[in-house]
Amino acid sequence: MAKGLTRRGFLKIAAGAGAATGLSPTVRRVALEPFVRPPEEELPGRATWFASTCRQCPAGCGIIVRVINGRPRKIEGNPAHPLNRGKLCARGQAGLQAVYNPDRLKNAVRQSGGRGSRVFQPIQWEEALVELTTAIQGLQDPRRLALLAGMPPDHLHAIWTRFLQALGAPPPLIFDLHTAMEGRAESAALAERWFGEVNLPIYDLANADVIFSFGANFLETWMSPVAQSVDYGQMRQGRLGGRGFLVQFESRLSATAASADEWIPVEPGTEGLVALALGRLIVEENLGRVGRHREHAHLYRNINVSDAVEASGIPAEEMMRLARIFADAERQVAIPGGHLAGHTNGPQAMDAVMALNVVMRRLGREGGLFLPQPVPAKRFAKPVLPSRFAQVERLIERMQAGEVEVLLIHGTNPVYELPAWVGFQEALAQVPLVISFSPFVDETAVQADLVLPDHTYLEGWGYQLVTPGADRPVISGQQPVMEPLYDTRATGDVFLALAARLGGDAAQALPWPDEVSFLEESSAQLHDNSVSAYDARTPAGFWSRWRQFGGWWSKRAIRREPEVVRSSRTAIHVPLPLYRGAVEQYPFHLVPYPSITLSDGRGANQPWLQETPDPMTTARWNTWIELNPETARDLGVDDNDLVKVISPFGKLQAAVVVYPGIRPDTVAIPTGQGHQDYGRFAAGRGAKVIDLLGPAAAGEAGRFAFGATRVRIEKVGAVRPLARLEDLDGEGRENIR
Amino acid sequence: MAKAAKTSVEETPPEEGVRRWGMVIDLDRCTGCQACVVACHAENNVPVVGEEESARGRSMHWIRVERYWEGEYPNVKARFMPLLCQQCTQAPCEPVCPVFATYHTPEGLNAQVYNRCIGVRYCANNCPYKVRTFNWFRPQFPEPLDQQLNPDVTTRSRGIIEKCTFCVQRIRRVELDAGAEGRDVHDGEIQPACAQSCPSSALVFGDLNDPDSRVSQLARSRRAFRLLDFLGTDPAVIYLKGGETNV
Amino acid sequence: MSDQTPIAGEEEMAELSPDLRDEYEGRLLLAQRKDWEINEAVLRPMMETGPRFWIAVAVLGAIVAWGLYAWGYMVYYGLGAAGINRPVYWGLFIATFVFWVGISHAGTMISAVLRLLKADWRRPITRGAEAMTAFALMMAGLYPLIHLGRVWKFYWMIPYPNNRFMWPNFQSPLMWDMVAIFTYLIGSSLYLYLALIPDLAMARDHTKGWRYKLYRTFALGWRGTEGEWHKLHRALGIFSVVIIPVFLSVHSIVSWDFAVTIQPRWHSSIFAPYFVMGAVYSGLAALATILVVVRSGMRLQEFLRAEHFDALGKLVMVAGMGWIYLWFAGFIVEWYGKDPVIMELIHDEISGKLAPFFWLQMVANVLPVILLAFRKIRTNTKMLLALTLLVNVGMFTERVLIVVGNLQRNYLPFDWGSYRPTWVEVSIVAMTFAGFILLYLLFSRIVPYVPVWEIKEGRLRYSLRRIGRLLVPTAAEIE
Repeated sequence: MAKGLTRRGFLKIAAGAGAATGLSPTVRRVALEPFVRPPEEELPGRATWFASTCRQCPAGCGIIVRVINGRPRKIEGNPAHPLNRGKLCARGQAGLQAVYNPDRLKNAVRQSGGRGSRVFQPIQWEEALVELTTAIQGLQDPRRLALLAGMPPDHLHAIWTRFLQALGAPPPLIFDLHTAMEGRAESAALAERWFGEVNLPIYDLANADVIFSFGANFLETWMSPVAQSVDYGQMRQGRLGGRGFLVQFESRLSATAASADEWIPVEPGTEGLVALALGRLIVEENLGRVGRHREHAHLYRNINVSDAVEASGIPAEEMMRLARIFADAERQVAIPGGHLAGHTNGPQAMDAVMALNVVMRRLGREGGLFLPQPVPAKRFAKPVLPSRFAQVERLIERMQAGEVEVLLIHGTNPVYELPAWVGFQEALAQVPLVISFSPFVDETAVQADLVLPDHTYLEGWGYQLVTPGADRPVISGQQPVMEPLYDTRATGDVFLALAARLGGDAAQALPWPDEVSFLEESSAQLHDNSVSAYDARTPAGFWSRWRQFGGWWSKRAIRREPEVVRSSRTAIHVPLPLYRGAVEQYPFHLVPYPSITLSDGRGANQPWLQETPDPMTTARWNTWIELNPETARDLGVDDNDLVKVISPFGKLQAAVVVYPGIRPDTVAIPTGQGHQDYGRFAAGRGAKVIDLLGPAAAGEAGRFAFGATRVRIEKVGAVRPLARLEDLDGEGRENIR
Repeated sequence: MAKAAKTSVEETPPEEGVRRWGMVIDLDRCTGCQACVVACHAENNVPVVGEEESARGRSMHWIRVERYWEGEYPNVKARFMPLLCQQCTQAPCEPVCPVFATYHTPEGLNAQVYNRCIGVRYCANNCPYKVRTFNWFRPQFPEPLDQQLNPDVTTRSRGIIEKCTFCVQRIRRVELDAGAEGRDVHDGEIQPACAQSCPSSALVFGDLNDPDSRVSQLARSRRAFRLLDFLGTDPAVIYLKGGETNV
Repeated sequence: MSDQTPIAGEEEMAELSPDLRDEYEGRLLLAQRKDWEINEAVLRPMMETGPRFWIAVAVLGAIVAWGLYAWGYMVYYGLGAAGINRPVYWGLFIATFVFWVGISHAGTMISAVLRLLKADWRRPITRGAEAMTAFALMMAGLYPLIHLGRVWKFYWMIPYPNNRFMWPNFQSPLMWDMVAIFTYLIGSSLYLYLALIPDLAMARDHTKGWRYKLYRTFALGWRGTEGEWHKLHRALGIFSVVIIPVFLSVHSIVSWDFAVTIQPRWHSSIFAPYFVMGAVYSGLAALATILVVVRSGMRLQEFLRAEHFDALGKLVMVAGMGWIYLWFAGFIVEWYGKDPVIMELIHDEISGKLAPFFWLQMVANVLPVILLAFRKIRTNTKMLLALTLLVNVGMFTERVLIVVGNLQRNYLPFDWGSYRPTWVEVSIVAMTFAGFILLYLLFSRIVPYVPVWEIKEGRLRYSLRRIGRLLVPTAAEIE
């Protein structure tokens, strides 16, 4: 070989080069500093924080909003707020996408092409007010004016009530699917039957050691999910008294049931029978530590435990075991949930659950059941509650009969949210003037003549009496965190302006120039109150602290012990649930359940919520049908196969999710999708389960029995992959973890 | 826990005041409610990709809640497990990046340098937790949704990897503020968006090098475990396994 | 070399019985040919380009153009145009990359290893093999660019001095990859070119016009002096040695892209030899495929004879045996390891959804090994073509299984995934196949496909010698 470069020399050099480059441990030092430490001279925008109230559901959580350059960027829970204590759910976080929704209405519009045309022409607010004034003045009878609203902020409800009262029109009718499915009205009625007070009871989950939840998905959408989740965290690991025990009774394993220690899959509608049987066993066997149950024996007259065993499918020994678990606990509580309200035996079933609390003497005890303490001021004394469904049906009848001339719709989307059998859309056609206050072109706005968009909640004022949930009286204050993005107008102001134009009683009843002065005056009622968490020397100072805190609340926990007014001699009778659809033709129970992200469909126009996976199925952006694996096998379908679900009243088509946590005789479908309108993120997506529902069985009119329809399933023979976070690929996935 | 407290500074022992940011996730508290997921989207300008791309496994969540089934009907259980970047001390993603776009900060964070990333996705393949997401397309924020974007966090372009940062912008802001006020950062003062929103307080964030911090106390729990510990990644996220109640 | 020179051994050949003569004539290095005949036989097919050639060029060009469009589309819209996703972050691109790098291994194997081993049957096929190496590497080298999320920043991988002191990370196997592929590409191109110089000079001496100008330029004034030959041999000798570690390292490094990760089934110490052996197997098979096609396409029956296919077939068979051995050595350890994720992957392959691919791979890689044991099959060009094509189908499938199949599973079953390539990926993969064939086609018409000087040199070694009364073919030691 040549003299220049010997083989040995070459190898030495090669080895040296290798060591110098790849193998040196100092390489990590030659790293980049990421650009997360801003340069000295750069001044990042300083954030301003505003305290307000979340309006994505009626719970009334306190929020603080981070605003930079006049634009809200992030919503967080208000740490000082006694309800949600600094926490916030997925829907609350996504509220920003209501404000910045690209499909918002930018001004008041008239549907110039006629209803359903979707041709909207901008109009001046002045013109809209003139038209509204003229229409109300032109009414033959003030009772021909109707206002239908979804759970409004309390200040708006107060303004409406005064307004309608002054005109002599019927009071506002409150309906939305979310509160209907959580059984809010029925819960209030339950409290009225037992405690003589139309109010929502508070269940002290944080301190309970055994919780029996009958169809209450309290970690998802029921009542005040954030507050209940905070309490749930306490119940699990946050207290010295040991970890609590949660049993969930429902036909489908909800996310709440997934967090429970035990899930008892009962046949839909028999939850009340189970509760009754448990109570009977406790009384009969004298279980528990509270002494003898003689005084409650009458509640359980003529009860046969075997009836419940047969109806619910829970074996007798299991029933006994559960009764012992409940009775032997020190601080137990039973919760009547929203699913119960969806059955023909709803009120009686809720009675049976409440009776468990009464029998175990859980009223007003730690880890038991309380009633909220009223806010010590007249204007905030009564909470807003949804109307009974019979009243909604009555309104539709009147519309159908041409007895409603002007219909005002705010904060609800009845064309979408009411089942087809109710005939709302047909009835709407009989109303000469329909006005929607929706900030979005939803299905109802498409059937309206005028749309007078309200601000979104981050742009508007208000207050809300928090119920249920907090351990003390709370009014959550709402204030704008930004200038309104568009030429929208607060509905409160619209009504105040309307009252001024109408003059007379209306103007006298509503003398305020705008809703802010109404709010300020309302807040003054709490000035100088001894239980306030804060105070100020002047009402103006108080009002500013009100806005700083994001409302008003008491400085210490105050809860009331409910007093039972129901006669303990009146036996509870829970009838068997009645279903629509014969079992031979329609072999499956249909369980519609509220989506944890989209709720009743109001979240469907917010892309974050559409993209967020359902916790159980991990599906998103569409509707799915949950089937037990056994059922799916019998039907010859698998995940992502399209099937038709047919009820006597309608049908829909969607992809299957094979779901291990559901009874084989039951089919579950989430609400929230199936919008025709409501913007680009919602429209034309999935199917609407509510349209499968029928009226409650004969003799149970006036009830929204959303859980009492039977269906059958037909295979379509096509596949439509769902956008699931979890990939279904892999046969052995269950073996690994 | 002694192991988790070991920082990446190999040659020098941890200096006084060097922090090791960590998180404890109590699976017994987690309800799978997805609040953390949306909070993260809002805080970190994480884009939404739509139905079609979601179906193809391209969603961008920096934190996700995994759901594992156990058993069969009727004795079926579902367990939730939130999964975010584990901020490993021995991070498998770091050595494989050809351009040093993944980097280990002295405080033990795995930083992703977006403007250095060229998109080889090697880090994502080597991440056993599969928490790195890739910008398959140019992120879309249809107007005026773009007005929501958090100015403290840059948006990312197509073709690069992004992932959870433990909300480093919040850490920096609190540190700067505390520095300006001449004081130390209090335990619990820094909260990533996910931990802040978590209704049941399943997520707790803090300094693992401070033995009195809440995370350190929780991390000493008998229920503590670290995900895929056998891989030796030495994560800064510590899980507490679900509890049992005897009745 | 003039026509008048008598061919050595001509007289002796004439003495032989016709049977024996046929047998010896059948061997390239013994056959009685005049130098000009050899030159002619090499140069003629190079000059002839019939309509079939141009049609092929047009079709291949169209496929390449379509593939470039697909690439442009993907660069413009983002990598989402491909079918990759979470967790299958690497797909067909990387699998094809590994495949091309594998193909590139045969050239060196043939020319460097066989040159060192003095296997004379290599002589007519070295150029074809080296060209295959160079072009396969060019195709392979495209993929690291194609699969980048931001291809316009590719130069950040290059360690160039800059005022921010930003260096690439030499800990990353992708850096090793880049270095290895560049080194191999440069080395093998030089190797190809060095051996080409005497033939370019030969071509220069027999052509006119643009070809003459081209060959004159690239022949570097080669005159064939003793000194030139000496230097060429020295250079080739050094290259043959130096390129072998490069050749072994390239595919080892490619395998370490996978093996140094902690992805189940990738993290394996057998990967480097397994990949190298697979590369040699697929590369030799590809070479056999190409030679069969080129032989009939360019009518090179004179140079590519049964003896060459026989030898190449044996080599393919041996490489295949090695591949089977190393595959099994990996598999058996995985099987007994009983890691649940790996068992799931094995289950997927044997009876799950990857089964069609897995069994295709096994049949396509094992069957040829068995059949090539027969000389009749080895020397039957049609059979050889079919079997070697099958090997490469099998090896391509194997790459896809390794890259895509394994990425579909990991330690968290919630994050398992699936993968389906899109038109973009298929188009780009087709582009590199078409591009490879196109480059090869053009190459075969521009430079002498058969290394004339190597054959002539070989022929000098072989002659019929008279031992006693017998005439026997002998080989002389001349290097």
